[in-house]
Amino acid sequence: MNSHEAVERLIYKSALALDEKNFDGYLELCDGAFTYTICTYSPEIRKDMIWLQHDKEGMKTLFKNLPRHNSDHSPLTRHVTVYTVDQKDDGTEAEVVSGLQVYKTALDGGATSLYAVGKIYDTVKLSGDSVSLVKRNIRLDTRELGIGHHVPF
Amino acid sequence: MSRNSAQWHAKPNLPETHYVDSSIYTSEEFFREEQEKIFNKVWIIACHESEVPNAYDYRTFQHPGGENLIIVRGDDQKVRAFYNICPHRGNTILYDPSGNAKNMTCIFHSWSFDTKGNCVDITRGTEGYQNRIDKQDVCLREVKCDTGYGGFIWVNVDDESMSLKEYIGDALGLLDECIQPEMEVFHYHKAIVNTNYKLWHDTNSEFYHDFLHYFNRITGMIQPGYYDRKYEGYKYGHASVGSMEVQYDKYAGSQKRGVGWPGLGPGGWILIDLFPGMTYNLRTSVLRLDTAIPLGANKVAIEFRGLGLKSDTPEQRAERIRDHNTIWGPFGRNLHEDLLAVHGQGIAMREGTDSKWVIQGREESSTIHDEVGMRHFYAEWSRRMGRKASAPQEQGKIEAA
Repeated sequence: MNSHEAVERLIYKSALALDEKNFDGYLELCDGAFTYTICTYSPEIRKDMIWLQHDKEGMKTLFKNLPRHNSDHSPLTRHVTVYTVDQKDDGTEAEVVSGLQVYKTALDGGATSLYAVGKIYDTVKLSGDSVSLVKRNIRLDTRELGIGHHVPF
Repeated sequence: MSRNSAQWHAKPNLPETHYVDSSIYTSEEFFREEQEKIFNKVWIIACHESEVPNAYDYRTFQHPGGENLIIVRGDDQKVRAFYNICPHRGNTILYDPSGNAKNMTCIFHSWSFDTKGNCVDITRGTEGYQNRIDKQDVCLREVKCDTGYGGFIWVNVDDESMSLKEYIGDALGLLDECIQPEMEVFHYHKAIVNTNYKLWHDTNSEFYHDFLHYFNRITGMIQPGYYDRKYEGYKYGHASVGSMEVQYDKYAGSQKRGVGWPGLGPGGWILIDLFPGMTYNLRTSVLRLDTAIPLGANKVAIEFRGLGLKSDTPEQRAERIRDHNTIWGPFGRNLHEDLLAVHGQGIAMREGTDSKWVIQGREESSTIHDEVGMRHFYAEWSRRMGRKASAPQEQGKIEAA
């Protein structure tokens, strides 16, 4: 498998892991220096906003605390399409841009609705045959998220 | 033992000030009456001055009474508010939620208005109207506007209303020192929820629901001083809750806090509810401001703002954003829980579900789990509506609490 395919596999596996609430599996895809951010731009206040930001340890704590909170348990389905993979000249990292759509399915009745759209900007570490997420920046177009959600996208 | 239908519908064995009829949350008739008798009579926060810092900056605002407004700063630095309706053919003048426009020009036929509300151009005016309509006859409808209490921009669509100062009275006294420094909005989002706006304000008006929040239980409820916090009611339905020292480090993942807020003790938390749907919520290093904008009896848009100090360094601002996002924001631990709960109330109480009473009967010497904050709100609601919240079908004059 070439590095482009390996990167794509990594991005898709990360979406599957979160869909399945396999949080340990998700963290296994992340480098020790991993950072995660959800951000968006507000035309109302004309500012960029950060809505969620953690390092790997912070993400681990967030996942660990989830069962202690009251949450909407409607499952989320992440549809990701890798648009571009740009590898650095030295072959150590790749910058990846993906499209993101998040769907929410109601537990009662199973109606699915589009919940959010945006793009994922990833930095992926390439090391021999292994690939890992170093930085994930999710930039949302959708800003009206109703009652919100405890699980990251 | 469970109850049968008659028992379910029987009035609670409490004073009539200690429960409400759930139809006040579901009736479209009452909602339209609230728009007329409450929202179109009181002062409402439209935005913050940091959202319109420069001359010709504007913001649009969906007023809870139903009117669409423009908030604009003139070249004289004065902020004014107008209906966002072109007097010509009733089109929306400004479509974007914010921007900068020396003249506000309607896209439909290019009628143009300045930041004082004057009509400055009617395209081909003389050819079409000869001398029958003059520009001064078709100026914008101006709405009362004032700035204060932390730099917020307030509007009141009632030309005969009392002043903002009289309306607020002493209600924001606990925050006097805290809202003196110049502030800046760094977070804005809107949540649209199928529930009644009062249910959101109720949630902000009682802390008994701390049982909902793991974060609040672990950092507040089991800590010393929690049960000493007291409610105080003010004229016109406003209420405040005094501070305590919240032990933020008890929540795994919380980081040591260094920024704080001027006038607020370490770990402090002051919350002030303003009738009929605004809340100042100052804790950790952030002021959160909620504005509930009802869209119907069972639909509300809640605007959430997070504010820091204008003097913040990038590091201080980053800490405020981190503090904000831990519990608030669309992915915050507490906000989602609060919204989930009022969403559930909206489902349980919508018309046709045979919901009947909502109990607000806790009495604990006005301390933190007392429901006096909600009772104080409904006393003002009843006075303005001429209907008791416990028996809203009956109308009549109701005295202030």
